[in-house]
Amino acid sequence: MAKKLKGPQIILSNRLDDGRVQFLTKDTSWSFQAHDAWLLVSEDEREAAMAAAQAFVQSNQIVDAEFAEAELTEAGPRPTHPKYIIQNAGPTVRRDLGYQSEGKAA
Amino acid sequence: MLGLRFAATWVINLKERLPDMYAYDHYDHAIVNARVDEFRDQVKRRIAGEISEEEFRPMRLQNGLYLQLHAYMLRVAIPYGTLSSTQMRKLAHIARVYDKGYGHFTTRQNIQYNWPKLVETPDLLDELASVEMHAIQTSGNCIRNVTTDQFAGATPEEVDDPRPYAELIRQWSTFHPEFAHLPRKFKIAVTGASKDRAAIRWHDIGLILKTDKEGQLGFEIVVGGGMGRTPVIGKTIRDFLPKADLLSYLESILRVYNAWGDRKNKYRARIKITLDDIGEAEFTRLVEEEWERARQTPLDAPAVEEARIRAMFTSPPLEVLNDTVAEDFATDNADFKSWLNNAVADHKVPGHGIVTISLKPHGGIPGDASAEQMEIVADLAERYSSSEIRVSHEQNLILPHVARHDLPTIWEALKAADLATANVGLLTDIIACPGLDYCALANARSIPIAQELGKHFDDLARLNDIGELKIKISGCINSCGHHHAGHIGILGVDRKGEELYQIMLGGSGAEDASRAELLGRGFPADEIVGAVQTVIDLYLDHRADREETFLQAVRRLGTSPFKEALYGTG
Repeated sequence: MAKKLKGPQIILSNRLDDGRVQFLTKDTSWSFQAHDAWLLVSEDEREAAMAAAQAFVQSNQIVDAEFAEAELTEAGPRPTHPKYIIQNAGPTVRRDLGYQSEGKAA
Repeated sequence: MLGLRFAATWVINLKERLPDMYAYDHYDHAIVNARVDEFRDQVKRRIAGEISEEEFRPMRLQNGLYLQLHAYMLRVAIPYGTLSSTQMRKLAHIARVYDKGYGHFTTRQNIQYNWPKLVETPDLLDELASVEMHAIQTSGNCIRNVTTDQFAGATPEEVDDPRPYAELIRQWSTFHPEFAHLPRKFKIAVTGASKDRAAIRWHDIGLILKTDKEGQLGFEIVVGGGMGRTPVIGKTIRDFLPKADLLSYLESILRVYNAWGDRKNKYRARIKITLDDIGEAEFTRLVEEEWERARQTPLDAPAVEEARIRAMFTSPPLEVLNDTVAEDFATDNADFKSWLNNAVADHKVPGHGIVTISLKPHGGIPGDASAEQMEIVADLAERYSSSEIRVSHEQNLILPHVARHDLPTIWEALKAADLATANVGLLTDIIACPGLDYCALANARSIPIAQELGKHFDDLARLNDIGELKIKISGCINSCGHHHAGHIGILGVDRKGEELYQIMLGGSGAEDASRAELLGRGFPADEIVGAVQTVIDLYLDHRADREETFLQAVRRLGTSPFKEALYGTG
């Protein structure tokens, strides 16, 4: 879970009741949009953010939480690895599905 | 359960059923309904926080429920790939009500839904149970859904119908307490045909129906096939097993595997590794030794039970026909003629055909079908194919019992639904796993590569000139897209966040099973279609004649000229 990654990171999870992907925000709530995510740039932030996320695991609101490498864009943080880009947006082969269809993907 | 079933066959009250499919008895209904109730309670407790994810995960997996990238994914079992029209309509209904209007038919002859909500899953399973379906044992380290030849019971090529045996195995393996926690998942396939359409030698156990010198029916037993990170073609450990001994022999193989399989390292836990570690001769000796004990106990199905099951697989009453309606229609319609030649196989009853419905429209997603398409197939099956549908491991649908004079009407309906692409067995009839677009295990996307290949090679005349060619694409080493068995296999890999695609050649999932050989470094996504084109061009330039297939040419030429063409090295 706490795999060491290089550079800034964000935390994402799947919501328990429907599996929907969401991103941890700086006020330790969740957003469906990566560009609302808390961009973690220090080890202290990483630890604090993951501790906050784990509280949601313990309270059975999310399934698990994990770090993803990210970069800061004008719109806000954006995951950089294909897996997390796709998780943020939805399947690249069905643009009518996933959160991209709601016009919310970062 | 099986013992109870055998003891009480006389009380079974068969409901009205199709002539060519297994119908649940009250035991089947009871155990499936009980499982739905049990899972409903488990979900309720999970949502309420009474059980943790760690505790819940094995419960949901035992009911086919995964958590993937975007949502939960439910894998529904389609026993040996056989569906009724009623069941297909229910799958369409589920796609519409519980998912996003479509389903994905898989290389295990199952269907997957990509967007169900956890809280709604018990209701979904309840709907499945109402049409004698479930998602039990579609995940986990247990005996998975048994697969078979999609032409079973219809093809003239088989010595016996494999479906009654597949059903027997289904009943034996469902909730088998001794094999509920195997070292790893376990897959069994059965065929009765000389032409292998079920990738028999790539399964943990492959069963090939055959007759001995006295004309007795039995099985060749193939063990230890599998793909994944260690691709192995199964080995025949017994040339002939009398059919009456099937379950005791399967039980013996599973017991040896259960006792000797590696439970510490999951990458070494499949039976192919166990067999390799022990050695084929010693493994076989252990199985035979165990079988000497097992066959003394009442493990095998009594003749009355086998007869009960077999009676449900009587072929529909088809009359021999000798009209030329389809041929006459084809003389004036080139598109229909192309489809007729490509998608309709011979049926055992003259005047009938087996129709393969391609789920591979050029540029489409292999194996996906919309709810509307499912309903159209269900309607066509009801009107023209004894209400029966099959799913192939190559991710297509089949109408197994069609009168040839109905083919023009069927083709028109399929064409209107974008289901009549005449590419069955050709380059664009591509197997592809869901890949990184959906799957949490994947390293790279598979579907977009299949789509780009489909768009690039969309000329049917060109495809027919190239001839039989099976491309199989996986998005990771787990090989759900069967790339090891592809005439051209494509494996997606992740190199520091970039999706690359390796090409391998010479694999086969047919009766001449072989493992594809990796050619070299991977290509970026925008170069892979060109690389495949290079491979095809070399084949066309070097084939001995038009009769030499791609696979035959690769086997004759070796992979060196293809490496040379792609990388400039031999």
